[in-house]
Amino acid sequence: MVNTDGQLFTIEGVAAGLIMLMTAYIIVGTTSLYTPGDSHISDMQLEQMGTDALRMMNIPNSSATSGESTLQKVIKNNDTSQFSQTFLSFANKRTGGIDDNLQFSADYYYRNNLANSVNRIHFTESRIPTGGEHAMRVTQWVQVDNSAGTMPAGVDTRVQAVLVEVLVWRD
Amino acid sequence: MARLNDDAQWIVLMGFIVSFALFFLAIVISQSTVVGQTTAEAVLEFPKNDIVNVRSEVFSASALSSDNLTRVKNDISSLSLSRKNAIVSFRISEAPLGSPYNKTIEIHYNNGVTAYDETTSH
Repeated sequence: MVNTDGQLFTIEGVAAGLIMLMTAYIIVGTTSLYTPGDSHISDMQLEQMGTDALRMMNIPNSSATSGESTLQKVIKNNDTSQFSQTFLSFANKRTGGIDDNLQFSADYYYRNNLANSVNRIHFTESRIPTGGEHAMRVTQWVQVDNSAGTMPAGVDTRVQAVLVEVLVWRD
Repeated sequence: MARLNDDAQWIVLMGFIVSFALFFLAIVISQSTVVGQTTAEAVLEFPKNDIVNVRSEVFSASALSSDNLTRVKNDISSLSLSRKNAIVSFRISEAPLGSPYNKTIEIHYNNGVTAYDETTSH
Protein backbone atom coordinates (compact mmCIF):
# COMPACT_ATOMS: atom_id res chain seq x y z
CA MET A 1 0.00 0.00 0.00
CA VAL A 2 1.41 3.38 -0.95
CA ASN A 3 0.37 6.35 1.16
CA THR A 4 1.69 9.84 1.80
CA ASP A 5 2.36 9.53 5.52
CA GLY A 6 5.78 10.22 7.00
CA GLN A 7 7.36 12.11 4.09
CA LEU A 8 9.10 14.62 6.36
CA PHE A 9 10.50 11.82 8.49
CA THR A 10 11.81 10.06 5.41
CA ILE A 11 13.50 13.19 4.07
CA GLU A 12 15.01 13.91 7.49
CA GLY A 13 16.23 10.37 7.82
CA VAL A 14 17.96 10.45 4.41
CA ALA A 15 19.54 13.86 5.12
CA ALA A 16 20.77 12.76 8.55
CA GLY A 17 22.25 9.62 7.02
CA LEU A 18 24.13 11.63 4.39
CA ILE A 19 25.44 14.07 7.00
CA MET A 20 26.69 11.23 9.18
CA LEU A 21 28.40 9.53 6.25
CA MET A 22 30.16 12.71 5.14
CA THR A 23 31.17 13.59 8.68
CA ALA A 24 32.64 10.15 9.21
CA TYR A 25 34.55 10.49 5.92
CA ILE A 26 36.04 13.83 6.95
CA ILE A 27 36.92 12.66 10.44
CA VAL A 28 38.81 9.69 9.01
CA GLY A 29 40.56 12.09 6.60
CA THR A 30 41.74 14.46 9.33
CA THR A 31 43.53 11.82 11.34
CA SER A 32 46.13 10.85 8.69
CA LEU A 33 49.50 10.35 10.36
CA TYR A 34 52.71 11.93 9.16
CA THR A 35 55.35 9.33 8.50
CA PRO A 36 59.06 10.23 8.57
CA GLY A 37 58.98 10.37 4.75
CA ASP A 38 56.61 13.32 4.91
CA SER A 39 59.24 15.65 6.28
CA HIS A 40 59.17 18.28 3.57
CA ILE A 41 58.50 21.11 5.99
CA SER A 42 61.66 20.55 8.04
CA ASP A 43 63.59 19.80 4.81
CA MET A 44 62.61 23.17 3.43
CA GLN A 45 63.76 24.95 6.58
CA LEU A 46 67.04 23.04 6.63
CA GLU A 47 67.74 23.81 2.99
CA GLN A 48 67.03 27.49 3.46
CA MET A 49 69.20 27.66 6.55
CA GLY A 50 72.16 25.94 4.86
CA THR A 51 71.83 28.05 1.71
CA ASP A 52 71.70 31.23 3.77
CA ALA A 53 74.80 30.23 5.75
CA LEU A 54 76.75 29.53 2.54
CA ARG A 55 75.53 32.73 0.92
CA MET A 56 76.61 34.76 3.93
CA MET A 57 80.04 33.16 3.67
CA ASN A 58 80.17 34.07 -0.02
CA ILE A 59 79.62 37.80 0.48
CA PRO A 60 82.81 39.84 0.00
CA ASN A 61 84.29 41.13 3.23
CA SER A 62 85.17 44.54 1.80
CA SER A 63 83.81 46.82 -0.87
CA ALA A 64 87.14 46.87 -2.76
CA THR A 65 86.87 45.29 -6.24
CA SER A 66 89.44 42.69 -5.19
CA GLY A 67 87.59 41.98 -1.95
CA GLU A 68 87.27 38.22 -1.52
CA SER A 69 84.56 36.48 0.44
CA THR A 70 85.34 34.13 3.31
CA LEU A 71 84.25 31.20 1.17
CA GLN A 72 86.57 32.21 -1.69
CA LYS A 73 89.52 32.53 0.70
CA VAL A 74 88.73 29.25 2.41
CA ILE A 75 88.55 27.31 -0.87
CA LYS A 76 91.55 29.04 -2.34
CA ASN A 77 93.78 28.42 0.70
CA ASN A 78 92.25 25.01 1.50
CA ASP A 79 91.51 26.31 4.99
CA THR A 80 89.20 23.57 6.26
CA SER A 81 89.13 24.63 9.91
CA GLN A 82 88.06 28.17 9.03
CA PHE A 83 85.24 26.78 6.87
CA SER A 84 84.07 24.48 9.63
CA GLN A 85 84.16 27.21 12.25
CA THR A 86 82.34 29.83 10.14
CA PHE A 87 79.70 27.50 8.74
CA LEU A 88 78.79 25.99 12.10
CA SER A 89 78.67 29.41 13.70
CA PHE A 90 76.37 30.80 10.97
CA ALA A 91 74.12 27.75 10.95
CA ASN A 92 73.84 27.08 14.65
CA LYS A 93 73.79 30.43 16.45
CA ARG A 94 70.41 31.57 17.67
CA THR A 95 69.26 34.91 18.97
CA GLY A 96 68.77 33.37 22.39
CA GLY A 97 68.90 30.07 24.21
CA ILE A 98 71.13 27.14 23.41
CA ASP A 99 72.70 26.68 19.97
CA ASP A 100 71.17 24.51 17.29
CA ASN A 101 73.02 21.31 16.43
CA LEU A 102 73.34 21.18 12.65
CA GLN A 103 76.13 19.03 11.26
CA PHE A 104 77.64 19.17 7.81
CA SER A 105 79.85 17.39 5.31
CA ALA A 106 81.33 19.59 2.57
CA ASP A 107 82.69 18.71 -0.87
CA TYR A 108 83.46 20.78 -3.86
CA TYR A 109 83.46 19.97 -7.55
CA TYR A 110 85.79 21.43 -10.16
CA ARG A 111 86.31 20.98 -13.87
CA ASN A 112 89.61 19.92 -15.37
CA ASN A 113 90.02 22.13 -18.42
CA LEU A 114 92.29 19.79 -20.41
CA ALA A 115 90.30 16.58 -19.91
CA ASN A 116 87.00 18.45 -19.56
CA SER A 117 86.15 16.18 -16.63
CA VAL A 118 84.28 16.97 -13.44
CA ASN A 119 86.07 15.92 -10.27
CA ARG A 120 85.26 15.97 -6.60
CA ILE A 121 87.37 17.01 -3.66
CA HIS A 122 86.17 16.19 -0.18
CA PHE A 123 86.69 19.34 1.80
CA THR A 124 85.80 18.83 5.45
CA GLU A 125 83.02 17.71 7.76
CA SER A 126 81.86 18.34 11.32
CA ARG A 127 80.87 14.69 11.66
CA ILE A 128 81.32 11.77 9.29
CA PRO A 129 77.89 10.86 7.91
CA THR A 130 76.83 7.27 8.56
CA GLY A 131 74.20 7.23 5.81
CA GLY A 132 71.31 7.19 8.24
CA GLU A 133 71.02 10.95 8.48
CA HIS A 134 68.18 12.78 6.83
CA ALA A 135 70.42 15.27 5.07
CA MET A 136 69.72 18.11 2.65
CA ARG A 137 72.15 19.14 -0.07
CA VAL A 138 72.87 22.84 -0.39
CA THR A 139 75.18 24.34 -2.97
CA GLN A 140 77.03 27.54 -3.71
CA TRP A 141 79.02 28.66 -6.73
CA VAL A 142 82.39 30.11 -5.87
CA GLN A 143 84.77 31.85 -8.20
CA VAL A 144 88.35 31.23 -7.10
CA ASP A 145 91.67 32.34 -8.49
CA ASN A 146 94.03 29.40 -8.16
CA SER A 147 96.88 31.07 -10.07
CA ALA A 148 99.14 30.58 -7.06
CA GLY A 149 98.34 26.85 -6.94
CA THR A 150 97.28 26.83 -3.29
CA MET A 151 94.37 24.45 -3.90
CA PRO A 152 94.95 20.67 -3.71
CA ALA A 153 96.96 19.00 -6.49
CA GLY A 154 94.95 18.23 -9.61
CA VAL A 155 92.98 21.48 -9.62
CA ASP A 156 93.85 23.70 -12.58
CA THR A 157 95.99 26.70 -11.71
CA ARG A 158 93.64 29.33 -13.15
CA VAL A 159 90.62 31.42 -12.37
CA GLN A 160 87.68 29.03 -12.16
CA ALA A 161 84.19 28.46 -10.87
CA VAL A 162 83.81 25.59 -8.41
CA LEU A 163 80.59 24.22 -6.99
CA VAL A 164 80.60 23.80 -3.23
CA GLU A 165 78.15 21.14 -2.07
CA VAL A 166 77.34 20.76 1.59
CA LEU A 167 75.22 18.03 3.15
CA VAL A 168 73.42 19.48 6.15
CA TRP A 169 71.53 17.52 8.76
CA ARG A 170 70.23 18.07 12.24
CA ASP A 171 71.78 15.76 14.76
CA MET B 1 1.71 5.65 12.96
CA ALA B 2 2.82 9.28 12.83
CA ARG B 3 0.81 11.51 10.59
CA LEU B 4 2.38 14.17 8.40
CA ASN B 5 2.15 17.39 10.41
CA ASP B 6 3.77 20.75 9.96
CA ASP B 7 4.77 21.53 13.54
CA ALA B 8 8.35 22.41 14.47
CA GLN B 9 9.53 23.29 10.96
CA TRP B 10 11.84 25.99 12.36
CA ILE B 11 13.53 23.49 14.63
CA VAL B 12 14.12 21.11 11.72
CA LEU B 13 15.47 23.95 9.55
CA MET B 14 17.85 25.14 12.29
CA GLY B 15 19.01 21.57 12.72
CA PHE B 16 19.91 21.42 9.03
CA ILE B 17 21.74 24.76 9.12
CA VAL B 18 23.80 23.84 12.16
CA SER B 19 24.77 20.46 10.76
CA PHE B 20 25.87 21.96 7.42
CA ALA B 21 27.90 24.60 9.26
CA LEU B 22 29.69 21.85 11.17
CA PHE B 23 30.26 20.02 7.91
CA PHE B 24 32.03 22.98 6.28
CA LEU B 25 34.11 23.64 9.40
CA ALA B 26 35.25 20.03 9.26
CA ILE B 27 36.37 20.53 5.63
CA VAL B 28 38.41 23.57 6.66
CA ILE B 29 40.08 21.64 9.48
CA SER B 30 40.89 18.70 7.22
CA GLN B 31 42.59 21.04 4.71
CA SER B 32 44.72 22.74 7.36
CA THR B 33 46.76 19.61 8.04
CA VAL B 34 48.14 19.34 4.49
CA VAL B 35 48.63 22.98 3.58
CA GLY B 36 52.11 23.28 5.13
CA GLN B 37 53.30 20.16 3.37
CA THR B 38 52.18 21.13 -0.12
CA THR B 39 53.75 24.56 0.32
CA ALA B 40 57.04 23.03 1.44
CA GLU B 41 57.02 20.60 -1.50
CA ALA B 42 56.49 23.44 -3.94
CA VAL B 43 59.28 25.49 -2.38
CA LEU B 44 61.70 22.55 -2.45
CA GLU B 45 60.94 21.78 -6.06
CA PHE B 46 61.42 25.30 -7.35
CA PRO B 47 65.15 26.03 -7.92
CA LYS B 48 65.07 29.58 -6.56
CA ASN B 49 68.43 29.37 -4.84
CA ASP B 50 70.07 27.78 -7.88
CA ILE B 51 68.93 30.54 -10.20
CA VAL B 52 69.86 33.34 -7.79
CA ASN B 53 73.25 31.75 -7.30
CA VAL B 54 73.98 31.20 -11.01
CA ARG B 55 72.92 34.77 -11.67
CA SER B 56 75.28 36.25 -9.11
CA GLU B 57 78.09 34.04 -10.41
CA VAL B 58 77.50 35.23 -13.98
CA PHE B 59 77.54 38.86 -12.89
CA SER B 60 80.82 38.46 -11.06
CA ALA B 61 82.25 36.55 -14.05
CA SER B 62 81.43 39.46 -16.34
CA ALA B 63 84.45 41.30 -14.94
CA LEU B 64 86.88 38.57 -16.08
CA SER B 65 89.21 38.71 -19.06
CA SER B 66 87.97 36.87 -22.16
CA ASP B 67 90.25 33.82 -21.69
CA ASN B 68 89.19 33.34 -18.10
CA LEU B 69 85.59 34.04 -18.99
CA THR B 70 85.52 31.21 -21.56
CA ARG B 71 86.90 28.74 -19.03
CA VAL B 72 84.60 29.88 -16.23
CA LYS B 73 81.68 29.63 -18.65
CA ASN B 74 82.61 26.03 -19.39
CA ASP B 75 83.04 25.35 -15.67
CA ILE B 76 79.55 26.59 -14.91
CA SER B 77 77.94 24.69 -17.82
CA SER B 78 79.71 21.38 -17.10
CA LEU B 79 79.25 21.46 -13.35
CA SER B 80 75.58 22.49 -13.65
CA LEU B 81 74.90 19.64 -16.02
CA SER B 82 76.68 16.97 -14.01
CA ARG B 83 75.78 18.09 -10.47
CA LYS B 84 72.52 20.02 -10.76
CA ASN B 85 70.90 18.37 -13.80
CA ALA B 86 70.43 21.82 -15.28
CA ILE B 87 71.42 23.34 -18.58
CA VAL B 88 73.03 26.69 -17.92
CA SER B 89 74.55 28.92 -20.53
CA PHE B 90 75.23 32.60 -20.66
CA ARG B 91 76.69 35.16 -22.99
CA ILE B 92 78.30 38.46 -22.18
CA SER B 93 78.61 40.90 -25.05
CA GLU B 94 79.43 44.54 -25.54
CA ALA B 95 76.35 46.74 -25.43
CA PRO B 96 75.38 48.27 -28.78
CA LEU B 97 76.89 51.59 -29.75
CA GLY B 98 75.11 54.54 -28.18
CA SER B 99 73.71 52.45 -25.33
CA PRO B 100 74.24 53.92 -21.86
CA TYR B 101 75.37 50.49 -20.65
CA ASN B 102 78.69 48.69 -21.02
CA LYS B 103 77.64 45.08 -21.32
CA THR B 104 74.69 42.94 -22.21
CA ILE B 105 74.30 39.70 -20.29
CA GLU B 106 72.05 36.86 -21.41
CA ILE B 107 71.43 33.96 -19.05
CA HIS B 108 69.64 30.72 -19.86
CA TYR B 109 68.69 28.19 -17.19
CA ASN B 110 66.60 25.05 -17.66
CA ASN B 111 66.43 22.05 -15.35
CA GLY B 112 63.65 20.29 -17.22
CA VAL B 113 60.91 21.61 -14.96
CA THR B 114 61.76 25.27 -14.57
CA ALA B 115 63.17 27.45 -17.34
CA TYR B 116 64.58 30.89 -16.76
CA ASP B 117 65.86 33.36 -19.34
CA GLU B 118 67.15 36.81 -18.68
CA THR B 119 68.69 39.61 -20.67
CA THR B 120 70.25 42.41 -18.67
CA SER B 121 72.40 45.40 -19.43
CA HIS B 122 74.78 46.95 -16.98
